[in-house]
Amino acid sequence: MTAPLFLEMAINGLISGSIYALVGSGIALVYGTTRVLNFAHGELLMIAGYLVLFFAVTLGWNVLLASVVTLALVGSIGAAIQRITIAPLLAREDWAFRVIAATIGLSIFLQSGAQIVWGEQFRTLPYFFDGVVSLGGLRMPVQRLSILVIALLLMGLCALVLYRTSLGRIVRATAQDAEAALAVGIPAGLVHTSVFAISAVLAGAGAILLSPILTVNPWMGVSFLLKGFAVVILGGLGSFGGAVAAGFLLGLIEAASVMVLPTEWRDVVAFTFLIAVIWVRPNGLFAGREA
Amino acid sequence: MTEILGRRPALSFLICVGLFLLTLVLPLNDYVLHILTLSLIFAIFASGWNLTLGILGLKTLGHHAFFAIGAYLSAIAAFYGGVSPWLTIWVGAVLAALAGLLIGLPILRIRSMPHVAIVTLAFAEIVRLIFSNLKDITRGELGFWGIPPFDPVSFGETTIRFGLGNAWGSFILVGLFFFAVQGGLLLLLRSRPGLTFAAIRDSEAAAESLGINFGAWKLAAFALSAGIVGLSGAIYAHYVMILTPTSVAGPEMLITLLAIIIVGGAGRFFGPLYGALLLTGSLELLREFGDYRMLLYGALVIGFVFVAPQGIAGLKFDRLRRRRGHGTNESSSSA
Amino acid sequence: MLRLEGIDVHYGATQVLWSVDMRVAEGEIVAIMGPNGSGKSTVLKAAMGLKAPSGGRVLLDGREMQDASATERPRHGMAIVLERRRLFPRMSVHENIVLGAYARPARETKGSLEWVLGLLPDLREHLDATAGKLSGGQQQMVAIARGLMARPRVLLMDEPFLGLSPAMVKTVSAIMRTINGEGVAILFNEQDAKLSFALSHRGYLLESGRVILSGSGQEMLDHPEVKRVYLGVREEAAR
Repeated sequence: MTAPLFLEMAINGLISGSIYALVGSGIALVYGTTRVLNFAHGELLMIAGYLVLFFAVTLGWNVLLASVVTLALVGSIGAAIQRITIAPLLAREDWAFRVIAATIGLSIFLQSGAQIVWGEQFRTLPYFFDGVVSLGGLRMPVQRLSILVIALLLMGLCALVLYRTSLGRIVRATAQDAEAALAVGIPAGLVHTSVFAISAVLAGAGAILLSPILTVNPWMGVSFLLKGFAVVILGGLGSFGGAVAAGFLLGLIEAASVMVLPTEWRDVVAFTFLIAVIWVRPNGLFAGREA
Repeated sequence: MTEILGRRPALSFLICVGLFLLTLVLPLNDYVLHILTLSLIFAIFASGWNLTLGILGLKTLGHHAFFAIGAYLSAIAAFYGGVSPWLTIWVGAVLAALAGLLIGLPILRIRSMPHVAIVTLAFAEIVRLIFSNLKDITRGELGFWGIPPFDPVSFGETTIRFGLGNAWGSFILVGLFFFAVQGGLLLLLRSRPGLTFAAIRDSEAAAESLGINFGAWKLAAFALSAGIVGLSGAIYAHYVMILTPTSVAGPEMLITLLAIIIVGGAGRFFGPLYGALLLTGSLELLREFGDYRMLLYGALVIGFVFVAPQGIAGLKFDRLRRRRGHGTNESSSSA
Repeated sequence: MLRLEGIDVHYGATQVLWSVDMRVAEGEIVAIMGPNGSGKSTVLKAAMGLKAPSGGRVLLDGREMQDASATERPRHGMAIVLERRRLFPRMSVHENIVLGAYARPARETKGSLEWVLGLLPDLREHLDATAGKLSGGQQQMVAIARGLMARPRVLLMDEPFLGLSPAMVKTVSAIMRTINGEGVAILFNEQDAKLSFALSHRGYLLESGRVILSGSGQEMLDHPEVKRVYLGVREEAAR
């Protein structure tokens, strides 16, 4: 393999990995803190995709403004989903499966709702950034590289919130021992709603970053949800840092598989890797390290 | 066990058989028969999945993988091998059961609900992609067409034909399969192995102390569950005679079956039948709103999870139990 | 100050507490003694609002706490040290302790920390350590410190001596007396009758979810029933 080819593979892997990391770290944050698996997480990407399209294309707003408004709205939608469909189920017996079933129902509901409202038209956003970067004989559009950079910045920001703010402190406390957190007076409801909002913002950011290079459509969340779940399991269920690392790893594995096999086998490789890891290390690749 | 089977399972079973026979003499048009046939196939699928959900207590989300394996492998054997579907469906079922062993081993070891749900879902995605990518054999998403229907059966003068377009014959055939599977499961659940399953469900420690090797039992139950789902897939393949990976192993299949299970009653023996009939019935009423089908399914799943999480079969059971409870209260107060 | 009146608690269909009445007066140390599974921990959890009672009332200074969620009680002057310390294992000792002041105004935190470290000076050198890596005794200190950060007037302690070495039991008892000397009332539970009633001003004996005996610490120790069942058994076992 030539050096530029290898570099291209690595950068492509890191770029798609950064999206998996964004989606997966959100799912991990929610699971780690609330023990809830949200199967409608992918639809937050889809909704964010349509929203940014609406603001930036239909209304013609500046992309930055459109993105900020989109993220704020998606964060509120994530919080609303938690409040309306998940929180009421938590008090009941056998809630874990009920939440899974209810969020699968919600996911399908939102997909077909989007299909009815927006139809099956597949649309993309214009590039945010022009220009091409040359890296050791390799030419990369700035737009693609910006995905990696912005995703890293956002996850860094998220880690900063988790480890350096009082909100982050009560989120981590709840994740580490929910009852002890309640005993010192930390309101579980506030924590749960906040982590849903944060995870929705992370997913929404992924959608905005993708919208110029992928089409926005009612089902765009499905494959990212599955990848996000895979990343969460690989990284050790509920571990924020583990999910970020596993996201990049999965991106790199996929990019490497594309060098050897036809593209349509990429996801088969990714999910087979997941099942192989589960056979060998049920607790994930980085067991023992949690948020 | 009552919780799973309801109070008089044998009686309920006979009532179902009676209703089925009654349907045969009704002057139903082909479309209605087609819908009923499909719902019975899905009811077989759901009862296979239900075995894992209810009796093993494993919340898997990837049984449509076994449906696709049964459907495609039986179809491939019949189409390319020229073997009669009467035989190939068993090939499909057995291969689905083997796939069940393969995926059952790791998930029975883990048991944590998120792992089980995600791993089985990923497995279904792998299976869908494999059938979609092997275009030389399956033609991928273009559709695998030309799958032979079950060979006709002759009784003297009369010949019964099967497959799409032969609604009456297909309905009888699928009905027979349905009752064979349900009857077999009913016998199994009330036999010694059935009681073992119940023991596993109620208390692993207790079952272990009786010297029951429940690891092997659970794996066998999981493979049986996969095999039944594979059989339903094979029957489906030779009935509709065309397959696409998305139609048999895509998210719509998952939500359709999840809706049937949740509406009918997850873990209840008769839940799948109630769910399949009710959902196909309501679909019949909403035929003109085809676009809204998945919207409705999604809403139904959410609604039932909130309002009646035990499903229709559960509602009936709860009412009976309450009545029984009242009876004992009265007798104790009068005594 | 703290009163439990007719507390019933159910876990599912099983009732575990039957009309439990208890009170803790200002500045008292009160013990709940009873065998395993008698419901001692449940009493504390119900008092703290971590387990919703199915009947009865919890009163603090005559104010009914029934509606106050668990998150509001620390504001009203209650704190709990949970069974088995229950620290936030991957946080530093400092973070654990400061989280105890969550329900209090932020401006008090610094003063409370100084007060707590004054009472538990050994903690000062471990502030940056990861809580989950400390020994059981050190973790118990951190758990107590976390509870004190809420500046409680009543501190509930669930099995404070569980799994501690005899030397550590002495240390923790001494700390409990010191805290009490600062005017904090303590309600704790413990299986060992001698330990319970020697440390406490008053005590309750709980069996199968019911209070069957109560009195001052000395009265409890001298009671023939306690002597026969709890002290007697213990002495025989010791031989």
